[in-house]
Amino acid sequence: MTAGYVDEMHEAFQTDLVYRSEDVPLECSPKPKDLEQTLHGLMKLNGLVIRSLEEIAGRGANAVTYRAGKKFGHEVAQYFQKRDDVEGALHELSDLLRGQYSFEVWKPEDKDSYIIEENGETFIYLVFHDCIVRQTLRRNGLDQGGPLCQTLFGYVVGAIEEITGRKAKLEIVHTGPNACLKKLVLK
Amino acid sequence: MEIHVDKDACVGCGLCVKDCPMHVYELQNNVSVAVRPNNCMGCLSCHEICPAQALEHRGIYAAKRHYIDIHVCEMLKKVI
Ligand code: SF4
Ligand code: SF4
Repeated sequence: MTAGYVDEMHEAFQTDLVYRSEDVPLECSPKPKDLEQTLHGLMKLNGLVIRSLEEIAGRGANAVTYRAGKKFGHEVAQYFQKRDDVEGALHELSDLLRGQYSFEVWKPEDKDSYIIEENGETFIYLVFHDCIVRQTLRRNGLDQGGPLCQTLFGYVVGAIEEITGRKAKLEIVHTGPNACLKKLVLK
Repeated sequence: MEIHVDKDACVGCGLCVKDCPMHVYELQNNVSVAVRPNNCMGCLSCHEICPAQALEHRGIYAAKRHYIDIHVCEMLKKVI
């Protein structure tokens, strides 16, 4: 992965913002005034569908949503340029996800490279910042990491597979209120 | 990323130490200290769990929050 690409990615998420625990968000950004009812309606509906799916299908709900996401990822990414390098594939992926999700590549400070090889696995850490799934879950008081997150997993895996022609897997490392850390395992 | 812990507010419960997936904090003399701030990826789980609201992150990217109900925001604006 070239330094320029990584720097460019990081630049988009660098701010001078001071965030305090007591800060109460007084407005949504960007202002969704005109779309507010639609957006909240959609988030509620999605949350209720997922809750009902979990009630009926139990653990099987994850498999259903993962598959749905994966199909969607394959479908959308088939119109994107095919790339066999990881950097190019991530470029295509961030274009694909724009407006719904934003992410950057990340590494712990003790690692030298963004492409990490450990225990026979090759992977990249991705920090997801903006995420429509997280927002929907918080709108509905649902836990993160459940079936709705699986749609994003499937979506990313499907898109990466479509773009690179290689098998991939995405694992949750941590879910937080402001960002989630995922591991993209390349096969 | 700069992380500031308000030493006077921190009650030394250690919740941030346990919750942070990147092991950013350590308890030293019953106060949390951000010993590995460069390992922070900005999830803000520590903000959510800290009972004393003792934490401050500088240079963080705040994710979009469409889920905040606009009517609630308008009500809050009148009160605050
Ligand atoms: S924001 Fe997340 S990664 Fe950063 S210190 Fe808090 S819990 Fe750890
Ligand atoms: S969670 Fe808050 S009060 Fe508890 S140790 Fe961490 S900073 Fe201190």
